[in-house]
Amino acid sequence: MVLSSFLRIFKFAWQSFWRNIWLSIATITIIVLAFISINSLIIIKLVTDTAINVIKDKVDISLYFRPDVTESQVQEVQSYLTSLTQVKDITYVSQADALENFKRLHRQDSVIISSLDELDSNPIGATLQVQAKNIEDYPAIMEVLNNSKYSGLIIDKNFDDHQLYITKIKNFSDNFNKIGLITSLIFLFVAALIVFNTIRVAIYTHRSEIAIMKLVGASNWFIRSPFLMEAIFYGIIACLISIAAVYPILNFIQPYVSNFFLTEQYSITNQFNQYFWEIFGLELVAIILLNIISSLIAIRRYLKV
Amino acid sequence: MIIFKNIQKIYPPDVDALKDVNLHIKPKEFVSIVGRSGTGKTTMMKIMTAEERPTKGQIIIGGWDITNIRPRDIPILRRQIGVVFQDFKLLGKKTVFENIQFALEVCGVDATRSREVIPQVLKIVGLTGKEDRYPIQLSGGEQQRVAIARSLVHRPKILIADEPTGNLDSINSREIVDLLLKINEFGTTVVLVSHNREVINSISKRVVALDNGTIISDQKVGKYIL
Repeated sequence: MVLSSFLRIFKFAWQSFWRNIWLSIATITIIVLAFISINSLIIIKLVTDTAINVIKDKVDISLYFRPDVTESQVQEVQSYLTSLTQVKDITYVSQADALENFKRLHRQDSVIISSLDELDSNPIGATLQVQAKNIEDYPAIMEVLNNSKYSGLIIDKNFDDHQLYITKIKNFSDNFNKIGLITSLIFLFVAALIVFNTIRVAIYTHRSEIAIMKLVGASNWFIRSPFLMEAIFYGIIACLISIAAVYPILNFIQPYVSNFFLTEQYSITNQFNQYFWEIFGLELVAIILLNIISSLIAIRRYLKV
Repeated sequence: MIIFKNIQKIYPPDVDALKDVNLHIKPKEFVSIVGRSGTGKTTMMKIMTAEERPTKGQIIIGGWDITNIRPRDIPILRRQIGVVFQDFKLLGKKTVFENIQFALEVCGVDATRSREVIPQVLKIVGLTGKEDRYPIQLSGGEQQRVAIARSLVHRPKILIADEPTGNLDSINSREIVDLLLKINEFGTTVVLVSHNREVINSISKRVVALDNGTIISDQKVGKYIL
């Protein structure tokens, strides 16, 4: 009996879906647009989060010591900094390595290379590259260092540029999310209205049937269920289309994302796939719930026989 | 079986459709409710099927007080009452068989059981062999027989017929009345709502006459007196 009821509901919903095919297409299109808008937001969020993490990993403070500072003094500073809870890692670059790095960087510039060769002593000091546990910890580390007895040993520090970069990305991401969220909410609202209207039209075309059903003793759920099933169809079909639409979008933006990260290894598709069930599962549940609520409201007045 | 106790029905703002109606219909009775248009006959029928609620009074069907029936219990009530309408209320896109099956589906009866029951009901109403026809392919009388078959298919104890001959010629009307009498003989209580003098006078059963929302006569073997 349960199976025959389900088949009846399914058959009725499917017939109604096809008999009003243009209305069904319009409804599904709006839901797909809502999904694409939300998925675009999610993609942007994934890319910006990854970008911020990549930059955070690359951020460090380089402490450039005076050339006359000895190795033991640098190591003393290193052990002092290691004792700080905010510090994650410290890399020591000796004077010799620092000179090598400098020469490598300027190997095209013969004037610099020949000038260095003429010098008797190494003019470049050692460097400590300090990585904090969190990007927010850098100002605190800098402050501790500036107020310590070691501040005089250091001739230069670099940090400010990274902070600016991260703030810009964060701001862009936050603003985009705000606009995207509003757009998605508008789309969802419109989608709910369109589903409401579609179900109303479907009910209107079946109004005499509904009245007769009521008079021969049909329960409200017997009458409602095919329309709710139709609303569920819209959600499922729209979700399938938006799944089919999202991968070409991901493939399209992949080269731009690779360029941005300067690597071919990062795949936006793989990252999106990690959240596949969370994204589409939630979207499907949300749209089905929204459709069911719209349909329940739409059918209410026709059940008062 | 059916009891109207001091039933009053006022349609907003102040239309008195029924005024203090008292009526007791016994099981297996055949009762005709007669009266001119707008006297409250259909309101009485709607109160019996819980389409309308009385403003005052009490209505009891088969021992069940349905005066303040809960919405979720209305389908249960309607499955125990067969209702026939003047305009047949058949679904044009369904065959005779499907129209009757539809009423069984509503009660959760499966297709196998439907195939057993429907031919029996079609035999009673004299439509054997016409199960695959669509309503448009039938005469008015035949359409009304389909409607009666549909109302009988869940073996109701009460059959309410609201102007069942209203859209039919005299020959078809006679056939429908004969069918209702036959159903009554099987033990079903029949309430016939009509303003057709000829039909009522030919039945020789109890006649309740309504005028302006009030019962003005109740005769055991009556005639159309208005």
